[in-house]
Amino acid sequence: MIQSPCMDRVQREMRPGVITQNGFLGSDHRSLQEILDHDDATVRRLNLTHQAIAARMCALRDAGEKGLGETIAVAPCFEIRVDSVRGKLPCPFMGGTIVQKLNTTVRHTVLDREVTYTDLNIHMIEEHGFYEGHGSLFRMAPEELVAILEMGEDDGA
Amino acid sequence: MISFLIAVGVMCALTSLLAVIMVIADATIANYGEVTLTINGEKTLTVDGGSSLLSTLKEEEIFIPSACGGRGSCGLCKLKVLEGAGEPLPTETPWLTPDEVAAQVRLSCQVKVKNDLRIEVPEALFSVKQFEAEVSALRNLTHDIKEVRLALKAPGGITFRAGQYIQFEVPAYELTDEPVYRAYSLSSSPADGSEIELEVRYVPNGICTTYVHQHLAVGEPVTVNGPYGEFYLRDTERDIIFIAGGSGMAPIKSILHEMARRGNRRKARYFFGARSMRDLFLLEEMKALEGELADFCFIPGLSDPAPDDDWSGETGLITEVVGRHTANAAQAEAYLCGSPLMIDACVAVLKEKGMPEERIYFDKFA
Repeated sequence: MIQSPCMDRVQREMRPGVITQNGFLGSDHRSLQEILDHDDATVRRLNLTHQAIAARMCALRDAGEKGLGETIAVAPCFEIRVDSVRGKLPCPFMGGTIVQKLNTTVRHTVLDREVTYTDLNIHMIEEHGFYEGHGSLFRMAPEELVAILEMGEDDGA
Repeated sequence: MISFLIAVGVMCALTSLLAVIMVIADATIANYGEVTLTINGEKTLTVDGGSSLLSTLKEEEIFIPSACGGRGSCGLCKLKVLEGAGEPLPTETPWLTPDEVAAQVRLSCQVKVKNDLRIEVPEALFSVKQFEAEVSALRNLTHDIKEVRLALKAPGGITFRAGQYIQFEVPAYELTDEPVYRAYSLSSSPADGSEIELEVRYVPNGICTTYVHQHLAVGEPVTVNGPYGEFYLRDTERDIIFIAGGSGMAPIKSILHEMARRGNRRKARYFFGARSMRDLFLLEEMKALEGELADFCFIPGLSDPAPDDDWSGETGLITEVVGRHTANAAQAEAYLCGSPLMIDACVAVLKEKGMPEERIYFDKFA
């Protein structure tokens, strides 16, 4: 799909140093629209939706918050730590959303793999289907994210 | 072929022309010349216009706390700008309360110095200095908390109150193209200002914590500035409740050593939350402080001790431990440092136990 001028503006907001030090696109040289389309296709292939993935991320964050900043075990197989970093970040999609910098680290104890995401990641996935570009610090490939969050097709509704 | 070359030539010429126009525009339109900053109604500075107020003041060695490199995402660099800056920008308004807007508080990183400004800078910030230092020691306190000891070189010493923090400059490295600052509480005693100590907990993907944990080495030069902050022991006779978790240990440790040095005899209880034994640290130092201070007790609590921890101490979330040990907090005061989630939960417990909110002092990592 050809990228709209609006998406061009959003992509400029995602460059390093505009909203965050390292930006949202990493070393990914594709257009934002291509990144979105590719990840959207992956999520569809997994029979999931961006909203279902975001809801799972929220649920695990909420469970992790009970640790009051320390790592806690969450059934069936997670260790989760939720903590704040000073500040708030605006969404680069320019919808006026501003979120607190809250980091959630989820470790799947059986797979021995972990993912760290922010509340901004949850928002961008839920509202925009954006998982960041390749090489970005907070890039979450949908397949990897879904595996660590222990999601299956049944979670796609 | 010729028409192709002509097209390429025309494109190159147009691009060059555009570049020249941009350079000229930058040197003329964006050149605001010299402007005057009037600070607190008495001091005036003549500075070059065009930069943010935050970086302009830094050039004049007036350091305003900032944790985001001037992107308007930390909300730390607030100052009163009484004249010359116009209305707050949309990038500032999420950070400003209506009272602050009425009081002409602005984010200094978002205010561009384009004309004369009249500003107010808190007196305490004039004592903030930049220090060139050298890493004198590194020690792993836990699997994810590192103690960093810095010998100050120029100037050779810092004066601070136990509980305050400094800003640590991370140089450009693989995670950042430009230097960035992050705030860390001083864990050392103010008694010896020639060396300072920090406790840095690793945060996944964190620019500064990754640098400290994976790149910093003994002997390396480091730049810090400070001291900052209002988190210090109030001069009262009230019983004290300290609560911390993780690297929130740092300012409490500094305060405790200062209490010992000054022979402070106030009753103090220190609740420290961790998950398991591998997250506990400085136990021997805390034990020694129990001997040095007149009425001090360190009470660590583990929320999820490992089977081989052989732990016979307090268990549960730190809020539960505080609740069990505190019958009535109405006459005490509290000092909290750590995760905002922990602090918010502990504030609720202390209020339930009768402590007035104005006597709960905290240093949130947020």
